Amino acid sequence: MATHEPLNEMNAIEDAEQRGRTDTWPLWRRQYAKGDPLPKLACQVSRPTYRFDEGDVLPEEYESLLLRMLRHEGERAGNKSFLGLMGTCLDLAEALFPPHAKLLKAEYVAEELKHAIMFHRLAVGLQEDFVLRDVPYAHYAFHLPRESWADDAFFHFLVDLNGAFHARDWRESSYVPLAKMSATVERDELGHSEMGYLFLTEICQQLRGKELVQRLLGKWYAAALDMFGRSDSPNVPKFIHWGLKSVGNADIRAAYKSYVDRKITELGLDLPDERANRRFL
Amino acid sequence: MTDIVDEIRQAYAAVGIRLDQPATYGAYYRLLCAGCGRMVGNVGDKLLPSMAQDVVTAQFDLYASGLLGCACGHQRDATRRLDPDRWAAAQK
Repeated sequence: MATHEPLNEMNAIEDAEQRGRTDTWPLWRRQYAKGDPLPKLACQVSRPTYRFDEGDVLPEEYESLLLRMLRHEGERAGNKSFLGLMGTCLDLAEALFPPHAKLLKAEYVAEELKHAIMFHRLAVGLQEDFVLRDVPYAHYAFHLPRESWADDAFFHFLVDLNGAFHARDWRESSYVPLAKMSATVERDELGHSEMGYLFLTEICQQLRGKELVQRLLGKWYAAALDMFGRSDSPNVPKFIHWGLKSVGNADIRAAYKSYVDRKITELGLDLPDERANRRFL
Repeated sequence: MTDIVDEIRQAYAAVGIRLDQPATYGAYYRLLCAGCGRMVGNVGDKLLPSMAQDVVTAQFDLYASGLLGCACGHQRDATRRLDPDRWAAAQK
């Protein structure tokens, strides 16, 4: 590329990301270098094949379910609540993080803002009056108190990983714009989860740190499993029918639990009772 | 202010932490040390009923032992006044 050639919007972001790469960041690189880190989420039921692209007329139920899914996702430039959540991340980094971890956290926020642009584009192509809609995060996992670096590390390890699993499921989405961006979102969210895990690993190096992490695990583990919703949610079969999801809440939760249990055990921690403190079974 | 925010405020007040004004479009609150004013964390307003109290109660030993709370020691002192026996047990 010529030095003075102007970059287009996404090339400029890619260029900025390339310049931000270090031995550590982005943390997804090492994981994918070892092979696919996430389990396959294959649909086990027979269903019609749908495929809708930007500008297509969408069936009413399909559009309603897609918008519902995107409201929950939340990472959208026009969503003030998303920007607010990012603000809390910066606050925590300033107040509670050791100096060496602050830059990683800033990289995380920058990457989430990239997702906000991607989902903004998707929203513009879908329904213009959705673009500026403020959708506060409804699930309590986004509102749990974070009172230490370890709390914030759990937030990323577990909550961002939930995003990675959902993005994995979007690879087969019947909505083409979502399927196209799913690999990038999955990869980045997996990296954010790895950032949290790196922090937890570091905190666990000291006895008192490990004790803190073990004690906080119960709070975050229950919330993380609850994030997948009720196993008998009546809307799930509709999502699967329309190709917006591949598997039900219980299946994706089980795959997620198997993944995090292995990582938690590798930290030398005791796994909590999976039914303790749960609100959505 | 919602009932949940009131509940959060009361739960944290008991261990020497106060809620700041709502930040970032209203959904989140900074948690400040009631002793010295330093930020010790944050919390959102969509916790479920009784959850704030459950979390603070579960974290009592962490405040008592200094694993959570401000470096000034205010939460250690507050938990000692709140439940001296549990505080003493948490020191072991």
